[in-house]
Amino acid sequence: MRQDALTQTYDAIVVGSGATGGWAAKRLSEAGLKVAIVEAGRAVTPKEFTEHMPAYMLKYRGHTPEIMRTRPIQRACYACMEYNYEWFVNDLENPYSTPADRPFTWQRLRILGGRSLVWGRQSYRLSDVDFKAASRDGYDVDWPFGYADLAPYYDIVERYVGISGKAEHDEMLPDGQFLPPMKMTCGEVRLRDSVKKTFGRTLTIGRTAILTQDHNGRAACHACGPCERGCMTFSYFSSPFTTVKDALATGNCTLITDAIVSHIDMDARANKAQGVTFINRTTKESKQVRGKAVILCAQAMESTRILLNSSTVENSKGLANSSGMLGHYLMDHCVGGGASGAFEDLKTLPNVNPPHRPNGIYVVRFRNTPKSGKHPHFIRGYGMQGGSAPDFNMGASGIGAEYKKAVKQGTYGVSLGAFGESLANFDNFCEIDPNLKDAWGIPALRISMAHGKNEHALMRDAGGAAAEMLEAAGAKDIQLTTGVEMPGMAIHEVGTARMGNDPKKSVLNPFCQSHDIANLVVADGSGFVSSGCQNPTLTMMAICVRACDHLIDRFKRNEV
Amino acid sequence: MRLLSLEAMQSAAEPPDRLPIINQPLINRRDLLRAALFASAASALGPAFSLAQAVESGLTPAAKREDGSKFLTDPNWKAAFLNDHQNETLIALSDVIIPATDTPGAKEALANRFIDLILSVQPAEFQQQFVEALAFIDTASQEQYSKDFRALALDEQVWLLTPWAYPRKPSRWGGEHEDNSDPGQKHFGRVKALIAGAYYSSEIGQDELGWGKNSNDDLYTDCASPTATPKPVHTPAHTTAHKPTRK
Repeated sequence: MRQDALTQTYDAIVVGSGATGGWAAKRLSEAGLKVAIVEAGRAVTPKEFTEHMPAYMLKYRGHTPEIMRTRPIQRACYACMEYNYEWFVNDLENPYSTPADRPFTWQRLRILGGRSLVWGRQSYRLSDVDFKAASRDGYDVDWPFGYADLAPYYDIVERYVGISGKAEHDEMLPDGQFLPPMKMTCGEVRLRDSVKKTFGRTLTIGRTAILTQDHNGRAACHACGPCERGCMTFSYFSSPFTTVKDALATGNCTLITDAIVSHIDMDARANKAQGVTFINRTTKESKQVRGKAVILCAQAMESTRILLNSSTVENSKGLANSSGMLGHYLMDHCVGGGASGAFEDLKTLPNVNPPHRPNGIYVVRFRNTPKSGKHPHFIRGYGMQGGSAPDFNMGASGIGAEYKKAVKQGTYGVSLGAFGESLANFDNFCEIDPNLKDAWGIPALRISMAHGKNEHALMRDAGGAAAEMLEAAGAKDIQLTTGVEMPGMAIHEVGTARMGNDPKKSVLNPFCQSHDIANLVVADGSGFVSSGCQNPTLTMMAICVRACDHLIDRFKRNEV
Repeated sequence: MRLLSLEAMQSAAEPPDRLPIINQPLINRRDLLRAALFASAASALGPAFSLAQAVESGLTPAAKREDGSKFLTDPNWKAAFLNDHQNETLIALSDVIIPATDTPGAKEALANRFIDLILSVQPAEFQQQFVEALAFIDTASQEQYSKDFRALALDEQVWLLTPWAYPRKPSRWGGEHEDNSDPGQKHFGRVKALIAGAYYSSEIGQDELGWGKNSNDDLYTDCASPTATPKPVHTPAHTTAHKPTRK
């Protein structure tokens, strides 16, 4: 670290280096501001990527007891494997609590790039049906801006990131700036055509942050499959090798890793944030870094935790919390409803070799749309993700040579699973647990969330609707699920510092700026007013860029 | 979201804590070359990370490129969990459930050694279930042949296991009083699922699934006629998947 890294006063301190933190650092430093990224985890290099390493070279071929020992919560995440578990937080060092009857699984990484290293990459725009949902069904409040306000920022993000997908002209899922779409399997084409013909619904290839052609100096995807173990060609979007790299290339950005921010330091007289205090991950030394503005991009609940841990005499309920709303309206998409089956007449054999398309298919929300009208049992809706492809049939009956043959014959499976809207609810919240600290002595969170009646109705409906669609397409052996998974399982946590125009009812203004403290911005998923049913990362990035552009304007006008 | 064969295995029997990764995606030669070009460009990232503290710890053995499979072929291998009798029974079961045909079977893939390792790190309840399953099969063997399973001739082993290897439904002759369930199915299912997982996740098992042979180019075709068997438009010679050699 350069000697002056901690003595200078930066224009902006960005806490976190994931999907949004990377964008904040890039946007602000490219505008000429002096930026410091403060990242809790270590740096990451392409040398530790393992996407081409055969599983049989792993001692436990996937399920090392180290994960069970040190990551009993993280192991619920599909991406936490023997290959890469060190990217995920050590649950023993990073505790949180929940009420006994309200379990929550909090899956997170602490490393440069955060969850952008392992994210599912599905990238969908929200529409005005989402931003203005309250106006249509009367539940809760609208967002303080509409689709037209965010659309230019979706454009900016998509053009840079590279989103492959197909325009569908469906009002529920606005089209974007797409690279060429990935191709479907025969089973998926059949399902798409049947769903359109029988139900008038749109099924499209997944819109994903994976390059289908060379783009911005990164290579097209080579379809090896497991993006969550890294990508030597950087063909999927992860912040360390894109936005963070760009930010550092400006010469205006300093990266401080292994720095766990405990709280924001305030200048009480001016009512301004003057920097952050962090604890070195390895030495446990406490240090400060000063800035004219602080931008939190630490992940929804981590940012809120920092604010709650920054109480002062003047802000005794936590910083930026005069409304009392901080920590509340925690959301995570409900998952669990869906169906699977098999296309017995499709004879393509399973194949262990590439290409393995790292993407699925998407059924655009079809409930409670302007076209469908109001559903009698629930408000809002769900989108579905899935796929259809032949797979080896390890569950085949029999023994001996016949069994070996049956395994290779495989089954041509088809499945759909829903992601449903998680209603914004004051009673779903996180707060500081007065009796719990992490390994660095920083007070930890108590998370209290449960999915409600509406989410259960959504998943019940989704199971039935998925089964119907598979059946109409000719699938056999259909099995459905209608349960609702534990909150956190979607790994789409948003909310806890909601945006709004009214400082009494919201934490942030429509540009993610604290109503209470003018130079404090929270530019990750914390500000979401509702969850929609679309995977949130694309929208988080667009909101972040919009917030940064607003902050840059304020710098230009000398308002910071 | 991903369609993994794990799902099929999990429905076949209660899985261990987490099953081995089957369907290991691999990369072909054409793509490896192309990837290498871009990777060397990327290593020029250099200064980007000059301020980051280099932390060597915090890497998984996989990220350090350690070959964790070496214990399998260690000449001094000793079971970590199973006793000799159990280990020999498991080897016999491996050989009859997934025998060598024109390709090697589960015995050659040392499925027993991998299963022993997995068992050694599983909760006691899971270990107990497996031990009970082996004991159940031995008891049935004793009842029928007055011999342990490992001592049976191949046709006897097949005769004993086959009725447990297929799904059951109530007998149409048995009427309401007939109980067609057979606890052997549950015990056998557990053993078979673990042997299959160990076999197909091994290097031999990957070869069995065709690794390094035909590429998967005919899967994602946007096929216009989904009922017809799709044919790739053309398959250049260099798309043949390449299996990297081990070092």
